[in-house]
Amino acid sequence: MNSLRARLGLGLVVGLVMTIGLLLAIAGFSMHKLMEHQVASRLAHDGDTLLADLTVRPDGTVGLDAKRIQAIYHQPFSGHYFLIEVDGQTIRSRSLWDETLPVPQGKAGEVILRHISGPEQQPLLLWSGSFRKQGRLVRLAVAEDLYALQSGARRVWWQLLGWSAALVVFVVLIQRAIIARSLRPVADVVEDVVRLERGEVSALREQVPQEVLPLVQEINRLLQRQQQRLLRSREAVGNMAHAIKTPLTLLQQLAAETTRDSDQDTRRQLEHYIQRINELVDTSLRRARIAGDSLGTTRFDVRQDLPVLVDTVVRLHRDKAIDFQQRLNEVDTLPLEQQDGMELLGNLLDNAWKWANHRVHLAIDGSGASCVITIEDDGPGVEDEQVRRLMQRGVRHDESTQGHGIGLSIVKSLVEALGGSIEFGRSAALGGLQVVAYFK
Amino acid sequence: MRLLLAEDDQDLGPRLKRYLDRQGFAVDLFDNGVDAGFYGSETAYDVIVLDLGLPGRSGLSVLEDWRRGGIKTPVLVLTARDTWQEKVQGLQKGADDYLTKPFHEEELLARLQALIRRNAGLVGESLAVNGWVLDEETQSVSRDDQCWQLTGIEFRLLRYFMLHPGHILSKSRLTEHVYEQDADKDSNVIEVYVNRLRQKLGNDIITTRRGQGYIFGEFS
Repeated sequence: MNSLRARLGLGLVVGLVMTIGLLLAIAGFSMHKLMEHQVASRLAHDGDTLLADLTVRPDGTVGLDAKRIQAIYHQPFSGHYFLIEVDGQTIRSRSLWDETLPVPQGKAGEVILRHISGPEQQPLLLWSGSFRKQGRLVRLAVAEDLYALQSGARRVWWQLLGWSAALVVFVVLIQRAIIARSLRPVADVVEDVVRLERGEVSALREQVPQEVLPLVQEINRLLQRQQQRLLRSREAVGNMAHAIKTPLTLLQQLAAETTRDSDQDTRRQLEHYIQRINELVDTSLRRARIAGDSLGTTRFDVRQDLPVLVDTVVRLHRDKAIDFQQRLNEVDTLPLEQQDGMELLGNLLDNAWKWANHRVHLAIDGSGASCVITIEDDGPGVEDEQVRRLMQRGVRHDESTQGHGIGLSIVKSLVEALGGSIEFGRSAALGGLQVVAYFK
Repeated sequence: MRLLLAEDDQDLGPRLKRYLDRQGFAVDLFDNGVDAGFYGSETAYDVIVLDLGLPGRSGLSVLEDWRRGGIKTPVLVLTARDTWQEKVQGLQKGADDYLTKPFHEEELLARLQALIRRNAGLVGESLAVNGWVLDEETQSVSRDDQCWQLTGIEFRLLRYFMLHPGHILSKSRLTEHVYEQDADKDSNVIEVYVNRLRQKLGNDIITTRRGQGYIFGEFS
């Protein structure tokens, strides 16, 4: 069991039940003892009274003054009994009727207290002893039925048990409320983590109980370090692009110049290699820039980022009038980091703009964790053969570059690097190319 | 055409300047962001080529300052950084076009010419006004079936006239847009070149407004 709530709940119940159980046991035992003690002292008192009332008649027999005996001893099976034995003569209370009580056989002065089963299976406490009175050995037994007292005590005990159970339930409920209250900040943290995964926040809130604070702080530190690393690596990649591409520009222009008239073949080869270096650099840089699904990064916001991106594409292709339509089904953010999304949609739109005659359609469906991006144009589209080659794994740009090819293989490698999948086909609506990218 | 070129690479900068000079631009080259920013807002350039990775100040912040200061000169951003994020940033900050390295000089030229034409409110692939068609590649001008070859300064001058047809252009304004910053500027030279254009293409191609300047294409 790995829930704090369940553990605390179970712990409390076990603790309470053990404590209350012990208390009830002690209470039951004490009540029993107290009752027995009370009854025993009353029996002793009655015994003393009987002894005092015992008189020896002139004929040598012994007798009791019936009037001085309490009425309860006259009522048959009343639960109060006595029996006196003096030299073979036996006096018993009328309540005993024909029953008898055991009398002690020991020496004078001995008093025994014990439980016996009396008439009609009554549980009796028996006080008995041998005494010497006026030179005679008197054996005396006084007993009282404990049934009423016992059942009363038992009733009280059960009532106590009932109250205790209610108390346990009450305390458990209170504890649940307290736990829920105390764990609410933890629930907030969990909620923050979910929002972090969705890219809605870039750090966890630190208004949490001090028990969880170190954990939250450590997560935030890690997130910050990760974001800084991404920033640094993108910066470094940008600098490297700058460092390589300027000499590459010079090389290209030099190649175009020095061999302009003389050796056309060398020039073509040089340009081919320069192109290859450029593409290799581009591919590596593109891959290095990808943030992927790292946590705590800003997501591509369709409402904010898409309009400026479309505007940029339109302005870069100012000489081309394209009728652009977009269908965004309640989409707010894409499951892509902001720059990753820019890169992907920028390439997709740029391609479509390049090849479209008049129309480009963009549709984005789904939101949160998954989305489908569909882009269509009314351009020439691509041949099936080219699609087959594009879809082969590991085909590099320079091996599949004709027309749409470069752009499409860039898009394909981007989508794959971002953990999505891609399909190329013919647009049913516009007749040109249709590219569908899936992200889950 | 006055052109501001901001490029910090010690080889590429001078090289591009030489090339653009040959193509009839009066090029001022700056190798840092601070100078480029200052001269860009002080001088009336016709077009600006701006590298983003400049020492001193980044090209983006220079561009932002220009636009905030009301400088509307078309800007072509030249950069090795070709992410869409940077393209979006560049164009949102006020760039008009974006060219990534490595590039061919011819492509840069074509983009600049398109940018200048667009800025002058012209559409189409070539510069044509009142039947005169300027070929920017061969630096020649044609009308009907006749074709005239132009010298460097003649070409610069005629292009500026053709981009501003019907405007009164003062000698000093023409000087400013035909010569680069460090050139020996003598506004009387303009008179000489205007006369040469008239000799080649006919007297009524450019009219003189005494005390004000010249007008191209007033009578057609």
